[in-house]
Amino acid sequence: MRILLAEDDAMLGDGLRAGLRQAGFQVDWVRDGLAAEREIASGVYAAAVLDLGLPLKDGMDVLKALRQRRIDTPILVLTARDAVPDRVMGLDTGADDYVVKPVDLIELSARLRSLVRRSLGQFQDSLRCGDVELYPAARRVTCRTDEVALSTREYDLLHALLRSAGRVLSREQLEQQMYSWGHEVESNTIEVHIHHLRRKLGAELIRTVRGVGYTVQREPPTT
Amino acid sequence: MTRSHASLQSRLLILVLGFAVAVWLGAALITWRDAQHEIDELLDSHLAQAAALMLVQAAGDHDDVVDAPVLHKYAPHVVFQVFVQGQLITRSANAGQQPLASQTEGFATVRREDGEPWRVVAAHQAEHDVTVLVGEQMESRQAILWAVMRSLLRPLLLALPLFAAALWWSVRRGLAPIRELRETLERRTPSTAEPVSLLGMPRELQPLVQTLNSLLARIDRMVQIERRFTADAAHELRTPIAAIRMQAQVALGAGDDVAGRSHALYTTLAGCDRASHLVDQLLTLARLESAPATPAVAVDLGALVRRVAGELVYTALGRQQEITLLADAGCLVAANDALLGVLVRNLIDNAMRYSPDGARVDVTVRRHASGSVMQVQDSGPGMSEDAIAHLGERFFRVLGNERTGSGLGWSIVRRLLDVFGAEAQIGRSQELGGLSVKVFWPTLAAP
Repeated sequence: MRILLAEDDAMLGDGLRAGLRQAGFQVDWVRDGLAAEREIASGVYAAAVLDLGLPLKDGMDVLKALRQRRIDTPILVLTARDAVPDRVMGLDTGADDYVVKPVDLIELSARLRSLVRRSLGQFQDSLRCGDVELYPAARRVTCRTDEVALSTREYDLLHALLRSAGRVLSREQLEQQMYSWGHEVESNTIEVHIHHLRRKLGAELIRTVRGVGYTVQREPPTT
Repeated sequence: MTRSHASLQSRLLILVLGFAVAVWLGAALITWRDAQHEIDELLDSHLAQAAALMLVQAAGDHDDVVDAPVLHKYAPHVVFQVFVQGQLITRSANAGQQPLASQTEGFATVRREDGEPWRVVAAHQAEHDVTVLVGEQMESRQAILWAVMRSLLRPLLLALPLFAAALWWSVRRGLAPIRELRETLERRTPSTAEPVSLLGMPRELQPLVQTLNSLLARIDRMVQIERRFTADAAHELRTPIAAIRMQAQVALGAGDDVAGRSHALYTTLAGCDRASHLVDQLLTLARLESAPATPAVAVDLGALVRRVAGELVYTALGRQQEITLLADAGCLVAANDALLGVLVRNLIDNAMRYSPDGARVDVTVRRHASGSVMQVQDSGPGMSEDAIAHLGERFFRVLGNERTGSGLGWSIVRRLLDVFGAEAQIGRSQELGGLSVKVFWPTLAAP
């Protein structure tokens, strides 16, 4: 999952980026409000962590502007402003979660996963399609209850497809969701990873839509 | 001074009652003197008339010595004698043989053998050589006077308690606004800062309440500053603490990533240094803002700068920065040694902190006719005009700055410049290209 981190403090930003990467997120880090607004608006991020005291444009203004533009990327506000009126204003302005510094890395990761899950309209903490089930919190994948070992990229690709089950994703869209800045993507990387996934999970899981991209079937809601 | 603690109410009561009693007593004294004078005139004229009557009678018949009978119980208060050719021929029963008075004409007050003062009038008729002496006891005059005074003073004495009660009530009522003000103030909690209402406040109390309100407003401003400072400080401390926590957690979860772990651990340490620097600066500022003015002495600026720069050299060496110092001898400025040290340390520390590794920091101390100048220049990025304008605002930091300052250094410098009466000039360094800070001290007056 690709996450945008907007934090102006060098030391904290560095820590958050490293920590969220450890938790399995692809993290891009911006340090001012204008960049944060621009990047979140691009729509490639599954969620954003937004500090409020940002230079150039205050986090609260960024939030307001994004929601006015009907951009619904889940946004977690991470701030040192802990007064109740601040929290209320943050949530009312359109924040999906409001977390006061300092925050525990594990909790922050869980909150981000929960935000993404809810934004996709899911209620369970796992994503499934046929015999394949993916657990985002543990970064585990099972096929007919058997544990399947996937590389980081394979996992990220499967996660991206399952999150958008029922929709066709182009190669570019998949790349955008999988790779944070500074990672060069080889021209046929996606094809290679798809090939590996099919070998490990069965050929019928991921379908190729010729000339458009890839898709997995939407699982009918379990009763 | 017990007087100043006395209640306003009892002071008013005592003063007004005291004046009232004094005025009454004065009036009584005047009445006393007037009445005495009138009574004397009236009774003297009666004496004279009686003497004239007796004289006329005595001129007619002068037989044997006759003792007049006592006809009335008041008669003993009156006495008379009639002499014809030196012989006592008629007298009242209480008159005695000796003449009542020595004079032959007019009034005299004499003391008789019983010791009592008597008023005696003498009348003389030369044709028959008749002398009449009529006397009246003075005590009876005093009795009349006392009766007059009694009738005058008795109602006053009765009225005094009534008057005091009415006065007490009026004063109490008149002072009611003071009591109400006290109660209003008593009911207030320390956190209420809104002014006391002037509505219905008597004119005498209005200046007091206005002064009180302006004091309340000043206190409120100070409390607000204090509160904002605490909030800002908490806010500012949260970020380094969050960074420390996050980096420590990253180090814990680094697994096989040795480089990542050691980076996180180094950053954790740097975060601790940053937090403790911030706490130091916060404490310095808090102490400065609440500290009373410390006495200034003549401090050798050059020597002090050398000492402070010496302490900072190790930090500079760690970042391959070079500090050079050029100081004129005998630059004396009026300051407190420790506080001046804080100022100089902040200026040099700022120059080092916000300049890159390997940068140069030049410190000069020069003596001029008009005063002493300390200049700190660096080869760092310098600051924009806009950023310079914001310097000294608490927790203001230059945008995009990678260095970890507290955002308080300039607040401290500003405060200290005020304390020392020195002035600072901030601009771009001509020689090194970075920031230049010049501080001017006026010449120290010769002791």
